Amino acid sequence: MKKSRSVGASSQLNGFGKQDAESRRKKKTAEIAQALNVTPVDVATLRRMAISEGGLLTDEIRRQVWPRLLNVSVDQIPEELEMIDRDNNKDFNQVLLDVQRSLRRFPPGMPDEQRAGLQEELINIILRVLVKNPQLHYYQGYHDIVVTFLLVLGERLATALVEKLSTHHLRDFMDPTMDNTTHILNYLMPIIERVNPEVYDFMQQAEVGTIFALSWLITWFGHVLSDFRHVVRLYDFFLACHPLMPIYFAAVIVLHREEEVLECECDMAMMHHLLSRIPEDLPYETLISRAGDLFVQFPPSELARGVHQRSQETAVSTFKDFELASTQQRPDVVLRRRRKEQQLQQRTLEAKHGKVTVARPTGATLHEAGGHGSDCGVGCCSVGHGELGS
Amino acid sequence: MADIESSFEFSSSLTSSSLPPPRTRIFKIIVIGDSGVGKTCLTYRFCADKFPDKTEATIGVDFREKVVEIDGEQIKVQLWDTAGQERFRKSMVQHYYRNVHAVVFVYDVTNAASFRSLPAWIEECRQHALGQEVPRILVGNKCDLRHAAQVSTDVAQQFADAHSMPLFETSAKNPYGNEDGSRNNSDHVEAIFMTVAHKLKSQKPLMLSQPPSRPGDIVTLRQEEEDRGLWGCSCWRS
Repeated sequence: MKKSRSVGASSQLNGFGKQDAESRRKKKTAEIAQALNVTPVDVATLRRMAISEGGLLTDEIRRQVWPRLLNVSVDQIPEELEMIDRDNNKDFNQVLLDVQRSLRRFPPGMPDEQRAGLQEELINIILRVLVKNPQLHYYQGYHDIVVTFLLVLGERLATALVEKLSTHHLRDFMDPTMDNTTHILNYLMPIIERVNPEVYDFMQQAEVGTIFALSWLITWFGHVLSDFRHVVRLYDFFLACHPLMPIYFAAVIVLHREEEVLECECDMAMMHHLLSRIPEDLPYETLISRAGDLFVQFPPSELARGVHQRSQETAVSTFKDFELASTQQRPDVVLRRRRKEQQLQQRTLEAKHGKVTVARPTGATLHEAGGHGSDCGVGCCSVGHGELGS
Repeated sequence: MADIESSFEFSSSLTSSSLPPPRTRIFKIIVIGDSGVGKTCLTYRFCADKFPDKTEATIGVDFREKVVEIDGEQIKVQLWDTAGQERFRKSMVQHYYRNVHAVVFVYDVTNAASFRSLPAWIEECRQHALGQEVPRILVGNKCDLRHAAQVSTDVAQQFADAHSMPLFETSAKNPYGNEDGSRNNSDHVEAIFMTVAHKLKSQKPLMLSQPPSRPGDIVTLRQEEEDRGLWGCSCWRS
C-alpha cells in the first residue's frame, strides 16, 4: 500500500522528477567519493551528505563513511576479534535473552541458519564491547542499535564502531542507572513547548510523561521502525550530528502528529498508546530537516535553561542538564549554515532573553543525582564529539 | 483530578443528575516480573485473543487493553506491560505505578531465578504503596514446558499462600496445553485476568477510588477489607 502511494507520488513528477532524482543521486555519490578521496578526508562534507536528503544512499557507502563520521580508522582495527568467555560473563544471560527475541530486526526471508549466525555475532560484539569497557552497562535496546551496525558493516567493523559509539553518543544510556537517560528525555517537552504550546499543554494535562519516547531515544529508533531502510537513514543523520539529535527527532515526530495528539483522549494511557506507536509512513526527509532546524533554533544550551526553570517546580533537572549547556559543541556544517541564515532571528532572541549563560548547580544533591564526575555523560559525549569532528 | 475523571466515573448521589452518562470504567492492572518470563505474551494473549508469534524485549512500558463484560457492565481492562530489566525500574517505571488497581506477578516455571526474584517484586510494589489491600495474583508462565520445570506447583502454592495471592499456572504460548495437542484448560490467560476483573468489580467504586495525586487533593475512602487472606478462588479450571 505504501509502495503504491510512493509510486503515485513520483509519477506526479512526470519522469522528469525521477530523472532529476537519479542525477542528484549520482551527483551525491560522486561528491561523497570525492570527499573520501582527498587527504585528509573531508569529514565536513561527509557529515553534510549524511544529513542531506537521502543520507548516505547505500550500505556500501555507509561502510566507508560511518567510520569517518565516528573517527575510527579502519586500518587500525585488529584483523582477529577477541574471543569471549560467555560462561563467566555477567551480562550474557540478559544479552542472549534479548538477542534471541530480536528476530524482527533481521531481513524477512533471511534463511534461519544465516540469521542464527548473525545472532551469534551480535552477542559477541555486545559482550566484547562490555568486557573491554567495564564502565559501560548493558541496557535492553542496546542490541537494537548493535544489530543495525552488524547488518550494515559486518562483525569486525561493527565491533569497532559500536565501541566508539558506546563511549560517546550512547555513553549516558550505559551508566549504572538510567538517571542521565531520564535527563535527556527531559529535553523532549521543552522542545515541543517552544514549537507548539498547545500540544505541550495538552500532553502535560494528560500527564503522558516521556517514557513513550524512551525506546526511540536509546535505540535510535531501531526498536520501533520496521523498515530497515528508514533505520539506516536515521543512523546516517544521527552519526553526523550532536548526541542529543535523537531527542529533537522525537520531538519532531510528536509535532508532526499534532492533530492526532490533540484529538486523542486527554488521558495518560491513551496518549502513551498513541504516541509510542510510530506510523510507518512518516515523511522522513522532511522530519530530518525539521529536526536539524529545531536544533539550531533551540540549541540544547537554551533548552537547558528551560529545564532549569522547570526544575524549580518539579525538581527533575540535575547537574547533567547544566553540564550539557556548558559543553554545547560546534554544530556540523549544515546546521551552522542554517544557523547563519537564521542569524537575525537568533539576535532577536538574544536581545530578548539576554545572552545565554550557563547556570551552575550549587546544591550538593544535584551533583549526587548526576551520578558521576564531570568528564563523563553527556559532557563526555560532547567532548568526544568534538574530537570526532576534528 | 483530571485523571480521576478519565479513569473512573461513578454516579454519586449528590451529583449524578448533573453528570454526563457514566463512561466505561477502567481497571488498571500492572504486570511485573523478571525479564523473559513472558509478560508481553500474557498481556498480548489476553488483549488480542491470540498468541503472538514473536515478542521482543519491552523497553520502558507497553500498554494493551480490552473491553470485557462483567454482569452486564462493560469494563475496560488496561494492562501495563513493563520492562523486566532492573535498570529500567527505578526511574522509568515509577510513573506507571500510579493509580494501579491490581498487580500481576509473573515468573517462569522453567527459570528458578525468576521465582526467587518475586520477593523483590513484591517489595517494589510495597514501595509504591501497593500492599496486600490491592488485589495481586501470581502467575507461573510457560507451563507448556513442564518437562523443564524448575519451580514445582507445591512450592509456588506455598509462596502464594504466604503472600495471600491466588496462584495460576499457565502457558501464554501453547494454545493446546498438553503435549499430546489436546486443547485443555492449560491456557488460563483469559481466566486469570477475568478473575482479577471480577475481584475489582466486586470491590465497588469506593475501593477503586484512586490515591490523591497531590497531598491534600482529595481524601480517598477505602472500604475495609473484609478478607485479608486469600481472595477469590485459586481454581482455574475453565
